[in-house]
Amino acid sequence: MTNPAIEVKDLHKKYLTFSRMEIPALRGVSLRVERGTIFGLLGPNGAGKTTLIKILLGLCAPTDGSAQLLDSHPGDTGARRRIGYLPEAMRIPDYMKGPAFLRYMGRLNSIPGSTLKKRIPELLEQVGLKGVKKRTKAYSKGMLQRLGLAQALLNDPELLILDEPTDGLDPLGRKQVRDLLKELKATGKTIFLNSHMLSEVELVCDQVVILHQGLVARQAAPEEFTRGTGEYLVRVAQVNDAVRAAAATITGAAAWTDSTLSFIPRDHTQLNALIDKLRSVPVEIVAVEPVKHSLEHFFLKVVGAGEA
Amino acid sequence: MLASYLNSLTEAINRRMGMVLIGLGVVVTVVFNLIIHVQFLPGPVIFLGRRLHWEATLGVPSVLSVMLEFTGGILWLLLSTLAAAPLLSSTLDRGWVELTLSKGTSRWKVFLGRYLGGVTLYFVAAIVVAVPIAIRLWWQTGVSSWPLVGSIAFQTLGFAGLLAFAALAALPRIGPAPPILLAMATSIVSAILAQREQGLYQLLTSRWSHWLCDWLYRILPKTSELNGIGVTLLHGYKINSWWPIWSTGVFMVATLGLTLWLLHRKSL
Repeated sequence: MTNPAIEVKDLHKKYLTFSRMEIPALRGVSLRVERGTIFGLLGPNGAGKTTLIKILLGLCAPTDGSAQLLDSHPGDTGARRRIGYLPEAMRIPDYMKGPAFLRYMGRLNSIPGSTLKKRIPELLEQVGLKGVKKRTKAYSKGMLQRLGLAQALLNDPELLILDEPTDGLDPLGRKQVRDLLKELKATGKTIFLNSHMLSEVELVCDQVVILHQGLVARQAAPEEFTRGTGEYLVRVAQVNDAVRAAAATITGAAAWTDSTLSFIPRDHTQLNALIDKLRSVPVEIVAVEPVKHSLEHFFLKVVGAGEA
Repeated sequence: MLASYLNSLTEAINRRMGMVLIGLGVVVTVVFNLIIHVQFLPGPVIFLGRRLHWEATLGVPSVLSVMLEFTGGILWLLLSTLAAAPLLSSTLDRGWVELTLSKGTSRWKVFLGRYLGGVTLYFVAAIVVAVPIAIRLWWQTGVSSWPLVGSIAFQTLGFAGLLAFAALAALPRIGPAPPILLAMATSIVSAILAQREQGLYQLLTSRWSHWLCDWLYRILPKTSELNGIGVTLLHGYKINSWWPIWSTGVFMVATLGLTLWLLHRKSL
């Protein structure tokens, strides 16, 4: 078994205010990100996500606990050369142009000039900024985000840490990023993704952790979060007393909302029996849908439970 | 560190104050070149304007001393600080620091590269002011003034001391104002302290205040004295006291070391 790309054990971080008051940001976070996977980090504002990422990158030190990235401690410069990072609120100096910015980022990662000469045009093309000559001052938010993504990919990293990578992008741009993440995963890269776009996380991530009030509230695969509830919605064209009576013989006191019946069958046989019964009334059946919760639903439930 | 150093130079040129500093340097050197002329009567005589004139061996260092007084003066230090200090504070700007300091280069190297960029800016601007006229006078009179480079180096050492203090003030990440103010206040206080026996001690009479002033003088960079040493060197005299040089060097190294150590430990 290979070592994980990221391993965090019982991580604590407290911030001190001017009045020496301690504000806990992380209260014992443990998680493990396997290599070659896309890992989603979710949580409401103030959950400790940014603090966790900063600790992983060696930008801030934990109060207690340990973190390892690519078998090294977070501050290790050698390990950081194998990591690509896109911060959430990225700010590029106004005077820089895209290629110059990428060149500087590449040099800070000790990438040879000859490699940069080849890699920068490739990446600019990949993120849709080929031929853009203007200074970053004149870039739109989406263009800046694309440039940020390009700098994160510059060193062909083993591990990508992306903080809100689709922020500011249009739907097409978001899809491009999703496709890119899947491509990167296919080449064996590990991606640590922090995003508020829960639908995106649901689409691309292999594992999701929900951080809440400095603790891991839940960790699972998105399918586990969104697994079917066992409930079905049966929608008919027109509901009347005869339809209700026919349904009641199978479902008992079932709940009707307008022309939709919600019902948890024991098994598929009972569901089929209900459909046969309704058709014998006769009534037209418009749809039979299994009820599935979205990641958002689950997220709100976890966070809401925490708030309560 | 080289990447960070080169980036700071690019940034300095692209910042308005950097351009103002270099531009003013060019203007000063052009103006001085226009008001200075050499006549042969029959030996070379240097005229500053129409009346003030010196025989060349005395005139060359005298004219260059005026240039040195300018580049070591408070106005030039203020402009240089306004141009160089933001290079340090901008290193720690939110949104940018996460990009640069998460890369495979140590924090201290990134910051030191920026600091050296600021020092280079001052050195280059001083060279722009003084060297063209030195070359012209050497060309016309045959009097060389190689010690000028050493004089500018001493002035740069003084500025490096101020900028090291500015670097320390940049750590709280509240913009370029604290580094600029601290550097300027230090240069003014240092000049006052250098003349404390003639000036400050007439106002402050208590023993403890004298003791405090003496220690402050010993610790702080000695920009005005370094200017004086530069002028002395230019006139071909020996350096009488190395104390301002090494004490400023110690201050610079210690302050910079402390700054880099604090930066290394800082949560960003």
